Amino acid sequence: MAALPGSGIAPAQELPITSTTLDNGMKVLVEEDHNIPSVALYFFFKVGSRNERPGATGLSHFFEHMMFNGAAKYGPKQFDQQMDRAGGSNNAYTSEDMTVYTDWFPSNSLELMMDMESDRIQHLAFDPKIIKSERGVVYSERRTSVDNSNRGLMQEQMQAAAYEAHPYHWPVVGWPSDIEAWTMDDLKQHFAMGYAPNNCVMVAVGDVKTDEVLRLAKKYMGPIPRHDPPPPVRTIEPKQTGERRAIVHKPAQLPLEMIAYHIPAAHDSSFPTIEVLRALLAQGQSSRLYRRLVDRDQLSIDANAFAQSNLDPGLFVISLQPRSGVETAQVEKAAFEEVEKLRSAPVSDAELQRAKNQLLADSFRQLQTIAGRANLIGRYEVLYGDYHKLSTRGEDIEAVTIADVQKAAAEYLNTDNRTVVTLVPEKKTGVSE
Amino acid sequence: MRTFVAILGLLSAASVNAQVKLPKYAHEVLANGVTVDLLPRGEFPLVNIEVLVKGGNEAEPLEQAGISDLTVQMLREGTAKRSADDFSDQLDALGGSWRAASTAQAARISAQFLSKDFDQGFDLVADALLHPSFPDGQLTKLRSRMVDQVRSEKDQAQQAISRYSNAFYFGSGHPYGRIADEATLGSLDRAKVADFYAHNYTGANIIVIVAGRFDENAAKAAIARTFGAIPAGQPFQWAADPATPTASGNRLLLIDKPDATQTYFTISMPGINRTNPDRSALWLVNTLFGGRFTSLLNDALRVNSGLTYGASSNYQQDKLTGALRISTYTKTDTTVQAIDMVLDVTKKLRETGVTPEQLASARATVEGTYPTRSLETPGELAGQLGDIELFGLNRGEVDDLFSSLDAVTVEKADAVIRKYLQPDGLTFTVLGNASRIREQVKKYAPAMVEVAVSQPGFMIR
Repeated sequence: MAALPGSGIAPAQELPITSTTLDNGMKVLVEEDHNIPSVALYFFFKVGSRNERPGATGLSHFFEHMMFNGAAKYGPKQFDQQMDRAGGSNNAYTSEDMTVYTDWFPSNSLELMMDMESDRIQHLAFDPKIIKSERGVVYSERRTSVDNSNRGLMQEQMQAAAYEAHPYHWPVVGWPSDIEAWTMDDLKQHFAMGYAPNNCVMVAVGDVKTDEVLRLAKKYMGPIPRHDPPPPVRTIEPKQTGERRAIVHKPAQLPLEMIAYHIPAAHDSSFPTIEVLRALLAQGQSSRLYRRLVDRDQLSIDANAFAQSNLDPGLFVISLQPRSGVETAQVEKAAFEEVEKLRSAPVSDAELQRAKNQLLADSFRQLQTIAGRANLIGRYEVLYGDYHKLSTRGEDIEAVTIADVQKAAAEYLNTDNRTVVTLVPEKKTGVSE
Repeated sequence: MRTFVAILGLLSAASVNAQVKLPKYAHEVLANGVTVDLLPRGEFPLVNIEVLVKGGNEAEPLEQAGISDLTVQMLREGTAKRSADDFSDQLDALGGSWRAASTAQAARISAQFLSKDFDQGFDLVADALLHPSFPDGQLTKLRSRMVDQVRSEKDQAQQAISRYSNAFYFGSGHPYGRIADEATLGSLDRAKVADFYAHNYTGANIIVIVAGRFDENAAKAAIARTFGAIPAGQPFQWAADPATPTASGNRLLLIDKPDATQTYFTISMPGINRTNPDRSALWLVNTLFGGRFTSLLNDALRVNSGLTYGASSNYQQDKLTGALRISTYTKTDTTVQAIDMVLDVTKKLRETGVTPEQLASARATVEGTYPTRSLETPGELAGQLGDIELFGLNRGEVDDLFSSLDAVTVEKADAVIRKYLQPDGLTFTVLGNASRIREQVKKYAPAMVEVAVSQPGFMIR
């Protein structure tokens, strides 16, 4: 459990986590928390869209779906039905870097969950009929989250424009033609590549006994044979040498604007500074972009910024929804001016401390639930190679100086490193033909 | 992602059927009518302060849809002692979170602070609630931003269809059918907001809830000094529940979004209000019907046929009788196939009813996941207390929940299915490329109504 130190507000001084590596290479991280009689059991497979190739994009995400469609012992629909009867629930997500399975259940169902997880990790079924049906589901997900979502479409265009060489170029959900074209061989190869026990981190947080988790992990996960993990991603995105632009024409009520800058990978020592930059620009109504664009100049409905924390260098993204009657050019001019101010002048002590306090309080919020902790512990283990980094997050944020902020702004938030995506509404009015 | 349903906080009973209890809390009604609930709990150094003002959207005058939301969002935009900028500077310096929104029954501020900052955080909450100055400049800005937010929702099909469904199902004469738009927001000004505030933000209507780690005595004193000192005012008079409309054929609203490559649709029918005695049985029935991944709707439309990424059903739990609503989407070409499948699943459930195994499974899911979704964090606990106060319930709502679920028999579940899952008198709301689906969807309701998504607002005037 995170502790509040005497002064200051540094979260997660030391989470009492036990780390064990099974003989087959699976890492098992356990945090006992008996405040509530329930468990969050998460599996992080270090395989995502960065491990894919042109022609077979979206496979990692498709697998995330297939993992619920039946294995050797527990057939189609069994995973979910057993879960229901045990009073549990589940979900999963896929990113550029990892595929994550999340189970929440009463603590007396731990063995059932281990058994079911082991079964699908080791013996996933490949039924052509189910694959055909699930392809339709994934296509529907794409239609919902990209084709019929202006923000989703913009984000896809942004990644594609900002990355020319690195696999972050293609979308996690996959290009439409790839979703339609995956073959059974593609699926089997991908499964064999990504789902090695030595490519997986298991995290259990909640009402468990560490010894019991380890006993069950050895029993159910231990027999899964070790094999080669995905080959390293060799491609490094070449340095961007000038602004790039993408324009989306689409019927819409209002325009959209996204501005992206390349930033280092999550494990880079400058990442805490980048998070502070993000908070300074767009966290809360005291932030610079909110105050200028939303409140004072009334150019934008909202002002958001996001720093992708990825295994390979990600993007710092500013997202704006221009007001009606406001051109994207006006919005971006004001946004660029605010970014430029961070490069040209130091922030005040008070403003820096405000941004730090926001980040630290957010860290606490994320640690409130067993699910939140399981997620963070696993992500830190995968992204930083060491979950201990979570314990020093408070210190890392507190250590950021005024000079660090200005230096990072100058280094990353510059014109040549920028990709701008705009959605320009096509006005189709009235009832169609 | 596998499903869009974000399940963030989780906690579960040791045995699926072990009743979970609401932690002990102190309840008090001050002399001026302010209700105070204090629930100290947790090792985590966070405290939630929530203030509910009874009335919410139900308190809005007929032509002023959005005034409750505008008023509650204006509270931080200037007070007797703080400008909007001062307020934000101080809130953000604490790393505090602040959510302001109006729901059907209450305007609500949900703030969270680090426990060590309780005094400063509470001062911000009390200042905003009790001494707002509603500066004209900030009000004009916020109002015009809200108008653009309405427009922007039109670009997000899933949000848009939910608004259209409420507007069409309830109609503009019902508080749940009055959806803020350019016209209603445009009519609001400082005088109206100040008037709405003066009538509604009074002792008799205010509920203050503190949950998390905090000093109970200090909180009690702070509340008495501030909220305890305001005039009692008149308690908000809840409207009587209008009679549920009787079935008289189907209705269909078609919203034309020419660029849509999939069709979004909902099917609405009369549901329950928050205190309806059928609520436990309907919870179980809805879990089986469309409330979880393995539900009949999702199984048919997603798992077995791949027609959609998700099909679900849910029902409102508000002061007045709400809607029970089926929602899904599918590619344009399979619109009719998907709608027919939904109707077929509904019909079959009416005919066959549920098995004891299905009922047991639904109970396990609801009981196993309920505490984790409702009682793990201070924010969730505050939400429970808010419901209890707003709807005149008591702690039995949590403490006796499992026994009321356990008491639902197969016969009761089947009766509830026949009572609520109606075969006709349905309200369809369909959003998609009208030129490609118009002729086909007519069969569900020949006298359908059609609007363009670009037409201002969501209400059919």
